[in-house]
Amino acid sequence: MNAPVQTVEARELALAGMGASRLRKEDARFIQGKGNYVDDIKMPGMLHMDIVRSPIAHGRIVKINKEAALAIPGVHAVLTADDLKPLKLHWMPTLAGDVAAVLADEKVHFQMQEVAIVIADDRYIAADAVEAVEVEYEELPVVMDPYAALLPGAPVIRDDLAGKTEGAHGKRDHHNHIFTWDAGDKSAADAAFAKAEVTVSQHMYYPRVHPCPLETCGCVASFDPVKGDLTTFITSQAPHIVRTVVSMLSGIPESKVRIVSPDIGGGFGNKVPIYPGYVCAIVSSIVLGRPVKWVEDRIENISSTGFARDYHMDGELAATADGKITGLRVNVVADHGAFDACADPTKFPAGMFHIVSGSYDIPAAHASVKGVYTNKAPGGVAYRCSFRVTEAVYLIERMVDVLAQKLGMDKAEIRAKNFVKKDQFPYKSAFGFEFDSGDYQTALDKVLKAVDYKGLRAEQKAKRADPNSPTLMGIGLVTFTEVVGAGPSKICDILGVGMFDSCEIRIHPTGSAIARMGTITQGQGHQTTYAQIIATELGIPSEVIQVEEGDTSTAPYGLGTYGSRSTPVAGAAIAMAARKIHAKARKIAAHMLEVSENDLDWEVDRFKVKGDDSKFKTMADVAWQAYHQPPDGMEPGLEAVHYYDPPNFTFPFGIYLCVVDIDRATGETKVRRFYALDDCGTRINPMIIEGQIHGGLTEGFAVAMGQQMPFDAQGNLLGNTLMDYFLPTFVETPHWETDHTVTPSPHHPLGAKGVAESPHVGSIPTFTSAVVDAFSHLGVTHLDMPHNAFRTWKALREHGAAL
Amino acid sequence: MEVKLDKQYPLDVDATRAWALLTDLKAVASCMPGAEITEQLSDTSYKGAVKVKVGPAVAQFGGTVDVLESVTAQRKMVLRGKGADKGGSSASMDLTAIITADPANAAHCVLNGQAAVIVNGKFAQFGGRMMVQVSDMLLAQFVENFRQTALTLPTADGASSTQTTSHVSAPVVAREINGLAIFWALVKSWFGGLFNKRA
Repeated sequence: MNAPVQTVEARELALAGMGASRLRKEDARFIQGKGNYVDDIKMPGMLHMDIVRSPIAHGRIVKINKEAALAIPGVHAVLTADDLKPLKLHWMPTLAGDVAAVLADEKVHFQMQEVAIVIADDRYIAADAVEAVEVEYEELPVVMDPYAALLPGAPVIRDDLAGKTEGAHGKRDHHNHIFTWDAGDKSAADAAFAKAEVTVSQHMYYPRVHPCPLETCGCVASFDPVKGDLTTFITSQAPHIVRTVVSMLSGIPESKVRIVSPDIGGGFGNKVPIYPGYVCAIVSSIVLGRPVKWVEDRIENISSTGFARDYHMDGELAATADGKITGLRVNVVADHGAFDACADPTKFPAGMFHIVSGSYDIPAAHASVKGVYTNKAPGGVAYRCSFRVTEAVYLIERMVDVLAQKLGMDKAEIRAKNFVKKDQFPYKSAFGFEFDSGDYQTALDKVLKAVDYKGLRAEQKAKRADPNSPTLMGIGLVTFTEVVGAGPSKICDILGVGMFDSCEIRIHPTGSAIARMGTITQGQGHQTTYAQIIATELGIPSEVIQVEEGDTSTAPYGLGTYGSRSTPVAGAAIAMAARKIHAKARKIAAHMLEVSENDLDWEVDRFKVKGDDSKFKTMADVAWQAYHQPPDGMEPGLEAVHYYDPPNFTFPFGIYLCVVDIDRATGETKVRRFYALDDCGTRINPMIIEGQIHGGLTEGFAVAMGQQMPFDAQGNLLGNTLMDYFLPTFVETPHWETDHTVTPSPHHPLGAKGVAESPHVGSIPTFTSAVVDAFSHLGVTHLDMPHNAFRTWKALREHGAAL
Repeated sequence: MEVKLDKQYPLDVDATRAWALLTDLKAVASCMPGAEITEQLSDTSYKGAVKVKVGPAVAQFGGTVDVLESVTAQRKMVLRGKGADKGGSSASMDLTAIITADPANAAHCVLNGQAAVIVNGKFAQFGGRMMVQVSDMLLAQFVENFRQTALTLPTADGASSTQTTSHVSAPVVAREINGLAIFWALVKSWFGGLFNKRA
C-alpha cells in the first residue's frame, strides 16, 4: 500500500495543510448558486409566517382585530401574545439575563416590534393578511436618548419590571436602568489623575449600527406530531445553544430537538440572538403540525434584529508631561434598547470592554458602563468583533490621539512610548486580562517604513502651508490589541453553558476522514481551514477530509462561531482531537513495524523507524490496520472527540495606517492609502486570512464612513433600507494593502489567535484618526462617525476650512 | 418625525367669506385633496378619512378632527387631527389657522396657517425626506380649492362674485391625492427652482 518514495517537501505540499493558500472548498457551490440557505428549504405541506409589527415606538395595545385577516382564504392562523400566554411563551429569556416579549404583551416598546403573526399558505397571502390585522394603539411618550431615559420623570419603558430593583447584573437604581458594571481599580485610577502632570478628556459617540448580513434571518420549523420531534433549519451562528434554549422553552427533550444551521449568508453577530420570529415559527409548527417557514425581509432585519454599538463614551487619560500614560478612566452610557438582549458571555454585561487599556502599559485604569433602556430595538451584538471590543479599541485609540495632540507629540511616537514591551509578555493589564504574546514595536516599525511615514508627514506639512490646497490631508494610525477566543469556561458562559468548543474526527479505513465541529461557518471558510489543521496534524491530504458543522444531531456540542472564537477555541479542539488519534496511530504503527513507540519518528504523513527511511507506515496504512486488525487488546477504529476549554483568551494585534484626502469643497473623503498589518499568531490559510481582512476592512470602512441608524424624536427609524443604510460596493471600497507579522500564542496548541474581526475593530478608529488628523491643525480633537461627506463638509465650514 | 409648517397664502377672497368657509369643517375638509368628513361626532368633533393613491397602492387614513378653539373675533381656528392607516402609519397635526384682512384691499385676505405635523410608521420611514415638499404641494392644492370654494360663497351683500350661483361648486383641482401627480408637481417645482435661481 506504500506510495512511491517522494521528498518530504513534495509530500508536505500534497497534504495542503497549515500555511497553504488552499482554495476555498465552499466556493464551488456558492459561485454556481448551489448553496443551501434557509430560504432554499422547502418541505411538503410547508406554511408561511409573516409578522405584524408596531408602527410606533411606544404605546399600549388597545385592541387587536384579527377577523379581516382570518377571513382571507389561505390564512390558517393569526396569533397574538394572548394566544401564547397559556403556553407561557409570550415572553422569553434573553442571553443577557433579561426577558423579551415574543409578541407584544399589552404594550409595544419599539417601532417594528412583533405584535402578531399570521400563518398562511404562501408568503403573499401572509403579507396581505398582515395588512388586514387591525391594531389599535394608545400612544405613549417616547424615550430615544439614554441620558433622558435616566432622568427622574422619564417615561417607564418596561412596565413588566416595576418594583424590580435587582437585575441580572446587580442593582437597578432607576426604572430605565439595566445595570452598572465596573472594571479595574477606581481609587488607583483616581489617584493617578490626582497627581497627573497632564490630563485629557473626550466625549465620543459610537453610533448604533447594524451588521446587515446579506442573508436576513429566518427559519423553517417542522414539528412531527407523530414522533414528537422538532427539526428546525435556522440562520444561527450558535445552533447548539438554540437547541438547548428551544428544549428549555418548549419542554421537548433536547434529544428530540434537531437544529440545523445550513449555509449561512453572513452573520457578523446578527445571527447569535434568538429572535421572536424563530420562537413563533416553532410554536406555529407545533400548533398546526405542519412545517412553517419564516424569513424576514431587509427592512425587518435592519429594524428589529440585533444592532451593534450605541455607546456614549467619555474617556480620560492621565499622563506625564513627556507622554507616558499613567491612568485611564472611562464612563459609558450604553443604549440597549427596550430589552437587554446583548449577546455577551453571561457574567460580562459589557462584554470584553475592559480591553480598553489597549496595547499600552497603563498602570491604573477604571471603566464603568451603565446599561439603559430606550424605545429602540434590542440587541447589542458583537458586529464582527469580540463582545464590545470595537467600542473599547475605538475609545483608547482616540484617547491616545487626543493626548498626543495636547502634548504636541507624534501619534506613532506616543504609541511606541506606551506600548507593552515584547519582554513584558505574558502581560497582566490593569483590568486583569493576561495578554498572551505580542511584539508591537516590530510591527509598528514595519508599517511606518512601508508607507514612508516621515515622507507622508512632510507632504502633509506642505499641503497645510498652501492655502489653496483643494484637499486636507490626514494620516490615521492605530495600534490595537483585540481579545478574542471566548473563553475560559471558569469565567465565560452563555446561559450557564461554558464557552468551550468541540471537535470529533473519524478516520475511515482507507485513510480519508470526516470531522465535525460545534462551530458553524458563515463565510469564514471552515470547511477549508479546519481540514488543513487535520491534514498537518495527521498527515492526511486535506482534500479527503470532509468537514461538517451546524447539524446538532451529528455535530458535537459547541458554542458556535462569533467573537473570532472558531480558530482560538474550535481550532484548538481540532488539534487536540487529532493528537488523540495521532497517539493511538503511533501505537498501531509501532505494532505494525514491530518496534517500540519510542523508536518511531513522525514525518509529515508517516511514522518511520528512526534511522531507516524505508521502514514506515503512513496514516492510511495505520487506518486500515485500525479497522482490520488492531493490536491485541486495543479497541478497533480510529476516531476521537475533544472538548477544548481554553485556558485564556488570545490577543491578536495589528498596526493600521490610513491616508485620506478630504475635498475642501464637498467634504468627500478619499481614502488614498490603507495599510493593514495583522498579527494573528500562526497562520493557517494566508489566502483566507487576506480575504477575511479585506472583508473586515470593508465593513469597518462602512461603519466609519456611512453606517448609522438614524431615529427621529418619535422613534421612527429613518434608514432601514439599503437605499439609506450604507453597504459599500466596489465603487466605494478603497484599495487595501495587507501585511503581517507572526507572534504565536503560547497557550494555543497551534499558536493561532483568530483574525476575522481584527480588521473591523482596528480599521474603524483608523478612519476616524485620519479624518480628525486632517483637521488637527485647526484644533479639532475628535469628530464623531459617520464621516460622510455632509457631516465632514459641515465640519469644514465650522472650522473655516471649506473652500 | 415632526414637520413644522408656517405659511401665508394671500387670497383674492374677502375675509368674511374665507372665515365662513373655514368654520364649515366639512367644506374645508373637502378642499383637502383626498379628504372628507365622514361623520360628525359632536359640535366640535368629527370623523374623517384621507385616501392616498400611489400607483396601484392605496393608503387610507381614518381618524378624528377636533376643533380646539374657534374665535370669530380673531377669525382664528385651532384644530387637532389624528389618524392612522391599517398599513402601519399614523399622523397627527395641530393646526392654527387665522384669516387676516388685507388692509389695502377689502376684497382680499390672507390665510395664515401654522401646523406641527407628526408622522409615524412607514410614512415617516419611507416618505420622511419628502415630507416638507409633499406638504407644500398638498397645501398649495388645498389653498387653491379653498380659494375657489370661498369665491362661490355669497358675499356679505348676498351676491356671489362669480357666475356660479349654487352654494358649493366642485373645484377643478383633483380630489384625490395621487402619488404620480405629486411626483410630477415635485419635479416641476424642482426644475422651476433651478430655473429661478439661474434667472
